[in-house]
Amino acid sequence: MARLLVVDDERDIRHLYAAELEDEGYEVETAGTGAAAAALLQEKEFDLVVLDIQMKGESGLQVLQKIVQEKERLPVILCTAFSCYKEDFSSWLADAYVVKSSDLSELKSEIRRLLEKTK
Amino acid sequence: MEFACCWHKELLSPGECPYLGPGEEDLLLNRRKRFLRRCLECPRFLEDLRALDEADPLAGLFPWAMEELRELRVQLQTQTSQLETRNREIRFLHEVSLVLQTSVDMDEVIALALTAVTAGKGFGLNRAFLLLVDKERQNLKGYFAVGPRRPEEAEVIWREIEEHDYTLRELAQLFLEQKMPSEREKFKDLLETLSVPLSRSDHLFVRTLNDQASRHVLDLYREPDIDPAQVHTLGVREMILVPLISKNRRIGLLLADNVINQRPIAAENLHSLKTFALPVSFAIERATLYERLQEELVKLTEANRRLKEQQELIVRMEKMALVGRITSNIAHSIRNPLTIIGGFARTLIKSTPPDDGKRQYIESIVREARRLEEILQEVLNYSESLHPTLDLWDINNLLTGVVGSLHEDLAIAETDCRLRLDPGLPQVRLDYKKMSYCFRSILTNSLEAMGRGGRLEVRSERHGDQLQVIITDNGPGMNQEMIREITAPFFSTKEKGSGLGLSLCARILEGHGADFEIQSAEGIGTTFIIRLGIPN
Repeated sequence: MARLLVVDDERDIRHLYAAELEDEGYEVETAGTGAAAAALLQEKEFDLVVLDIQMKGESGLQVLQKIVQEKERLPVILCTAFSCYKEDFSSWLADAYVVKSSDLSELKSEIRRLLEKTK
Repeated sequence: MEFACCWHKELLSPGECPYLGPGEEDLLLNRRKRFLRRCLECPRFLEDLRALDEADPLAGLFPWAMEELRELRVQLQTQTSQLETRNREIRFLHEVSLVLQTSVDMDEVIALALTAVTAGKGFGLNRAFLLLVDKERQNLKGYFAVGPRRPEEAEVIWREIEEHDYTLRELAQLFLEQKMPSEREKFKDLLETLSVPLSRSDHLFVRTLNDQASRHVLDLYREPDIDPAQVHTLGVREMILVPLISKNRRIGLLLADNVINQRPIAAENLHSLKTFALPVSFAIERATLYERLQEELVKLTEANRRLKEQQELIVRMEKMALVGRITSNIAHSIRNPLTIIGGFARTLIKSTPPDDGKRQYIESIVREARRLEEILQEVLNYSESLHPTLDLWDINNLLTGVVGSLHEDLAIAETDCRLRLDPGLPQVRLDYKKMSYCFRSILTNSLEAMGRGGRLEVRSERHGDQLQVIITDNGPGMNQEMIREITAPFFSTKEKGSGLGLSLCARILEGHGADFEIQSAEGIGTTFIIRLGIPN
């Protein structure tokens, strides 16, 4: 069973993603800040990270850079309310990019695709 | 004493004085009048005086007084005729000045000036040339000429003028309306030969202009300071040259001659022409200034128009920037709650059986949240439409994809949609996602405008160094006002949506450096033309 880490500063988003992704059969852990995410990543092994960009404190892009440096092969999906982050160079480090939506099918299919790839 | 003449008689009978003719019967009865008019010049009266001289020495003084009187009479006559000429001249100059003063049209001024020089009612010279100072090229340029080139032509012209009793003004008007272009052509070669650079200060023309003094040349062939070619072209000996000066500024030179009838030019003519040259100079200068003013006005109007366009563009861009900032903020503060509301509703729906009464409420939440998200995406796309991510794509592939994605909508609306794609088109640089959105918006717009059973055509073809896509519908069409409005932000004739569709299209196409044209006729339909540059 694949282990996913959902990082978002919005509690309800974390709950929603966790519920939906668990329904898909994944094991999901969540973090509300960049620091909490970093701690979890140190502590446990994950197969994929779903990362919000706009967060209080450490931003998603900063977290992304750390992940890339420390866990080179861990796939990351950037997830945000702003689609214009596509033009930020550091966002190119992510493996996929999904705009937040109440319809999680795009997120889910990206997760499936990336997990297939890294198998 | 017996007198040879009848001067001493009070009354005369007809035939008695041989110097009285018919119509002068009143003189038969009036001795004083008769004496002053006839007797004083009568040879017989002189004879009688001489005969009387011997008897009365006073009679010998009479012939002296008579001689003096006769001389005075001749003088008076000459002066009267001179006065009449002067009067005529003043009237003529007045008439010309009036017209010159009111005209700011260069051609009109020249037509009048040269007609005045050549017309019988004016100076009556055969031919006149106007040379004007071209400041830019530092040249005294042959500008215009009036008159016959050959004697036969002269006869035709003079007969024509004789047949109609035209005033000077009418003549000038007639000339301006009917003869100006042909006359310009007629003397073209001659005028070119007469042009002289202003630097040649020794040349007769330039010297006359610089000296600001008129010249009456009696024999051009003996004039050393004129080119032989010019003398040959002019083909005349006698000529007058009058400089046109306005407040010490050199305007030009007026040349006139009697090339056809070879009549000598009278000194008074030169004098009058000098007076005439003054208002002509002013008028020409004024007309030139007016012409330049008009040119400047046109330039200024154009500059003004462009400025206004730029201002409108700036206002539009400022609006766009504002829209961008606002939408980014909205996006961030709305997207998250929307995701949560809609997301949980979707989660709920999965665990709610179809027969549960609450299910339709949850479905409403899902649907409405989705709609809000779509509107939000549209608004966001709008603010993001400035910088497309470009790559090389096959436009036909893109169009087929877009039309394919609308398959259901087309079927529901029973639309007859035809694709006429040129298979040999090169790839073009575009942002696939945005351009797809763009064509999708145009097609959706057409679909909604046409309603049921419309006809839609999507064509791709090469257009010079561009590739063009033409989308034609047979909807109700739009007027100019509507076209302008639908490409401006937040306008829609539809009740649904935020109305960003076509204005976003315009922004996306602008970002691609593409041309976007909408041709529409109310009641016939609308054609959208998109032209993309083909990369080298």
